[in-house]
Amino acid sequence: MNIRSSVYLRYVANDLRANKTVTTALLLVVTLSAFLMGTGALVMERTLGSVDQLFDEAKPPHFLQMHSGEYDVAALEEFAAGQPGIESWFIEDMLGFDGAAIGWERPSTGESGDFADSLIDNLFVTQNTEFDYLVEESGAIPRPAPGEIYVPVGYQQRYELRVGDELVVGTDAGTEHYVVQGFVRDGQMASSLSPAIRFLISEPDFAALRQAGGGASEIIVEYRMTDLALVGDLQRAYDADAAVPKNGPTVTYALARVFNAFSDGLAAMALMLVSLLLIAIALLSVRFVIRGTLEDEVREIGTMKAIGLPSHEISRLYLLRYGAMTVIGCLIGAGAAIAAAHLLTRSVQVNFAPAGFGALSALVLLAAVGLVAGIVLLTCWRVLRSVKKVEVVNALVHGSLLGERQSARRAKRQARRLQRTSVAGRFGTLNSRLAVADLRAESRQWLLIPVVYFLATVLITLPMSLLSTFQDPGFVTHMGSPEADVRADVQFADDVDAAGADLLAAMTEDHRLTDVQAYANVLYETTGVDGPETLRIAVGDHSAGSAEFLDGRSPGEQEIALSALNADKLGVATGDELTVRNQDGELTLTVSGIYQDITSGGYTAKMPGRVTAGAASYVIFANTTDGTDPEAVASEYNATFPDATMWPMQEYLEQLLSSLTDAFRSAAVLSLIFGVAVALLITCLFLRWRLSRDRPVLGALSAIGFSLRELAGQVQGKTVVTATAGIGLGVVFAATAGEWFVGSLIATLPFGLVSLTLLPNPWIAYLAYPLLLLATSYVGAVLLSRSLRRANTSDWLRS
Amino acid sequence: MTDRQATLECRAVTKTYVSTDPPAEVLRGIDLTVREGEFIAVMGASGSGKSTLLYNISGMDRPSGGQVLLEGSELTGLSDDEMSRLRLTRMGFVFQQAHFLGNLTVRDNVLLPALKAAPRDKPGAIARVEALLERFGIAHVAGHGITQVSGGQLQRASLCRALASEPAIVFADEPTGALNSSMSAEVMDALTQVHRDGSTLVMVTHDPSCAARADRVVYLRDGLLVDSAELGTWTADTAAQREDRLIGWLRQQGF
Repeated sequence: MNIRSSVYLRYVANDLRANKTVTTALLLVVTLSAFLMGTGALVMERTLGSVDQLFDEAKPPHFLQMHSGEYDVAALEEFAAGQPGIESWFIEDMLGFDGAAIGWERPSTGESGDFADSLIDNLFVTQNTEFDYLVEESGAIPRPAPGEIYVPVGYQQRYELRVGDELVVGTDAGTEHYVVQGFVRDGQMASSLSPAIRFLISEPDFAALRQAGGGASEIIVEYRMTDLALVGDLQRAYDADAAVPKNGPTVTYALARVFNAFSDGLAAMALMLVSLLLIAIALLSVRFVIRGTLEDEVREIGTMKAIGLPSHEISRLYLLRYGAMTVIGCLIGAGAAIAAAHLLTRSVQVNFAPAGFGALSALVLLAAVGLVAGIVLLTCWRVLRSVKKVEVVNALVHGSLLGERQSARRAKRQARRLQRTSVAGRFGTLNSRLAVADLRAESRQWLLIPVVYFLATVLITLPMSLLSTFQDPGFVTHMGSPEADVRADVQFADDVDAAGADLLAAMTEDHRLTDVQAYANVLYETTGVDGPETLRIAVGDHSAGSAEFLDGRSPGEQEIALSALNADKLGVATGDELTVRNQDGELTLTVSGIYQDITSGGYTAKMPGRVTAGAASYVIFANTTDGTDPEAVASEYNATFPDATMWPMQEYLEQLLSSLTDAFRSAAVLSLIFGVAVALLITCLFLRWRLSRDRPVLGALSAIGFSLRELAGQVQGKTVVTATAGIGLGVVFAATAGEWFVGSLIATLPFGLVSLTLLPNPWIAYLAYPLLLLATSYVGAVLLSRSLRRANTSDWLRS
Repeated sequence: MTDRQATLECRAVTKTYVSTDPPAEVLRGIDLTVREGEFIAVMGASGSGKSTLLYNISGMDRPSGGQVLLEGSELTGLSDDEMSRLRLTRMGFVFQQAHFLGNLTVRDNVLLPALKAAPRDKPGAIARVEALLERFGIAHVAGHGITQVSGGQLQRASLCRALASEPAIVFADEPTGALNSSMSAEVMDALTQVHRDGSTLVMVTHDPSCAARADRVVYLRDGLLVDSAELGTWTADTAAQREDRLIGWLRQQGF
C-alpha cells in the first residue's frame, strides 16, 4: 500500500468514526437492503437446489397421468409401444384413504391421534423398481418388510411422528396395523401445494389392504423419456388417444419442478420485492447524506482544491468513504442472509433434500448483494460528480457549493417564495407559520421525509393486503366456488354416485342447512388448440353466479363456463361454441363466460344440469342456519358418512391456502418490522442533520424568546406533517396502482388467477398501519428534538 | 450615573466547562452592575471570557455559580419557558452574524419577536416595526430577502429586531465583527442612537473605536474582571480623543 492510499484509508476510517450516527444509520439501511435481496436470492437458489437433488435421487416421472376407476391395460401397452421416446413406463397402483380412517399410536407413551384434519389424499403404495422412488433422508431407497410402513416427511413434521409409532388404517374388514420404520421424501408429491401424499408399505401388505376394502383404487401411469424435450409430444399423443385412462390430472416433470420450488420460493420473491423498496430508500438516504456532507464540508473541499488536489481525487476520497460503508453493509447483509436463508429453507430441506451451500449458492449471493452494492455506489458516484462544479472562492469565502450563476438563480427563487410568505398571516400560530415557511423554503430537503414514508407505507401495506386477500372469506370466489359455510367432498368411495346421493339427501333434509348446492364432476373430451383434451366439468346449478367472472356470466341451458386457463388451453372466448363428448354422446355448448379458479390446477368448467351417475366425484356446498356451528355439523356428518369429507369452509380455505398465506405472512411481518425500523432510522438521520445545520437559526430564535419546547414543537410538527403527506400518498398509491401491480404480478404466477383484486383489511391497511407510521415519525421527531431541550443555545450561536 | 437603578447585576458569576480535561474555568467570579440607560463595552483578549460573560448574564447560558439579577429578579433559577419569556419581553440581542431566517424577508425577521411578544396586537407590532425600520434607514429594503441586502443593513435590521419588543436591556456580541469600517460605523451610529434614546446596552467588542462609544469599558483577563474605565457621554466631536484615551488605557491592561 502506498503512502497516499494509507492516508486515504486513515481519512476514511477517522471520518466514519467521527460521524457515528450517520454512518450507523446508512450502514443499517444498506445492510437491510443487502440482507433481504441476498436472502431472497439464496432461498430461491437453495430451494431449487434441494428440489433438484431430490429429483436426482427420486427420479420422478417425466410425464404422469392420474386416474381413478376402470382402465384398459392393453390400451396403455399399445400406446407405449407406439412411442419411441419412452425409456420406461409402469402403472403404479395406489389405495386412497380418508384421513379420518388413519390413526397413529405410540405404544411407549400411550399417545394417539389421527389424520382427520388433513385435507390431502392419503395414498398407500409400494416401492417402485425402475424410477419414481420414495427416498429416505439419507438418500437410500427403502423397501419395507411386511408390517412396516414409511411415512411422508410432511406428516412426520405435522403430527410429530417417530420411528416405532404404529399406524392403524380402518378398512371394511377391520383395521390394519403397521410399524413406522422411517420417513420418506417424495419427488412427485413433496410440494406443500400437492393435493396428495404417499405412504410406503410392502407388497404383501398392499395386497392385503386392497383385499380388506375401504380404500379407493387409483393409478398413476408414469413415463420416463429418453429426452425431456419429447415430453410435449408424448402428452399430445396421450391426450389424443381415446383408449388410455384419463380420469385425473396430468403432471409433467417441468411442472412438478416449478410447482415444488414455487410454493416455497414465493416467500423469496416477496423478500426480493420488499428489498427493492428498501433499496429505493437506501438510495434516497445516501443521496441526501452525501449532499449534506458536501455542504457541511464545502470549505474543506475548497481547501483541497486550492492546494491542487484534482476534483476526481476529491470525489474518490468521498467515494472511498461511502464505498467502504456500502461494502461493509453488504458483507454484513450477506452474512446475515446465509443464516436467514438456512432458517427459511429448513422445511424445504426436510421435504426435499438437504442441499449444501456450494459454489453456485455463493455466486448467487454475491450477485444479489453485488447488485445492491453496485446500485448504491453508482448513486454515490453520480452525486459526487457535483464536486467538479465547486468553485474554490465560493467554497472558501462563502461556504457555498454553488457557483455565481447558481447562487443568483437560487436567490431569485427564494425572493419569489418570500413574496408569498408572511409571519403576520391570519392562519395558525406564529410557530406553525414559521414551520410552514421553513417547509416551503427547504422543501427539497424536507422532501426526503414524505418520500421515505410513502415508500414505507407501500412496503408495509401491500404484503399485508395480499395476506388479508388470501384470508378473506370472499377469496373463495377466486376458486370458482360459491361462498358457503360448509363444503362436502365425495371422492374415495366404492360407489361415488350412491355415496353422493345419500349425502345430498341427508343434507337437503337437514333443517340446520340451507342453500344446499350439489355439483357432480364429470369427465368429457373436447378438442383444444393442441389436439384432444380432457375436460372436467362441474355439473349443477350455477345460477347463483358464485364465481368471479372475468368475462360473460354463469352458464344457462346449452351453455358452459370455462376457467381462464381452460379457455386459454382450448382457444375459446365468450360466445364461442365448444363441443364436448363422453360415453353418453356429444354436446355442442356456447361459452357463456370465463371465470378464474385456482382449484384443480386452474383447469375447471361449469355446466348446468343434474347428474346422478357416472361422476368422478361430487362436491356439495351449504350454508348453516343462524346459531349453527359449521364445525359441529361437519364432524357429525364425517362420523355418519365415512365416504364423504365435510369441512367448515373457513378451515378448508385456511388449510388449502396455508402454504401461500404462510409465505405472505412472513413477508408481511418482515416488511412491517423493516418498514417501521427504516422509517424511524431515516427520520432520525434526517433530523439530526437538519438540526445540526439549523443550529445558528435555532439559537437566534431562542435568543429572541422562543422556548426550546416551542422549537422542538416546530420540528415535531414539520416531521409529522411531511410524514402524513407521504403516508397519505402511500395509502392512495397502495390502494390503487400498488394493488394493481401486485395483483398483476400474482396473476402471472401459475395459479389460475388471471386477475386478482386485493381485499385489504381496511382497519389495518387504511387506519392501523398509517397510524403506526405516523407514530413512528412522531417518536423519531421527539427522540431527536429531545436533544434540543438539553442543548446549550449559546453554543449554537457560536458554532 | 450611580444614582440610577441597576438594570442588571452579576454577583460572583463563574462558568466552568467540565467537558474538557482538565475542566476549563472561563469565568472566575465576575461582579458587574449595569445601570438603567448605561452603555457598557466588555473588552479583553481572545479567550478572556467576554462572550461567555455576555451569554451567561443574558440567560442564554446558565452560570456554574453566582447570581444574575435582571431588574431585581434572579435569573439563574428560572425554567427554560420563563427564561424565554424574559428574553422575549425584557432583552434584545445583536450577534456578530445576524442569524436571520433565510426563508423570511427582512421585515418578517424583525417582526418575529414583536408578534411573539404581543400576539393579540398585530397592528401595534407591525406599526412599531415599521417605525424602527424607518428610523434606522432600512424601510426601503424591508421586503427584501436577507441575501439581497448589505451586511450593514442586515446588522441594523438585527438591531431593529432586538428593539422590536421594547426590551429593558440590549446585548450585542461583536456586532461589527463581520463588517468593513464604513458598515461598522453605520451600525455603531445606530447603537449610539439607541443608547441616546435611553436604552441600556452591554456590548462585547475587540474594536477600541466601537468600545469608545460606550459610557464605560470593563476589561476581562483570564475570566476575571480586572479593571473598568469611565468614558462619559460620547459625542462626535470628542470621538478621536476618547478613542486615543481608551487605547492608552487598554495598553496598560496589556491589550
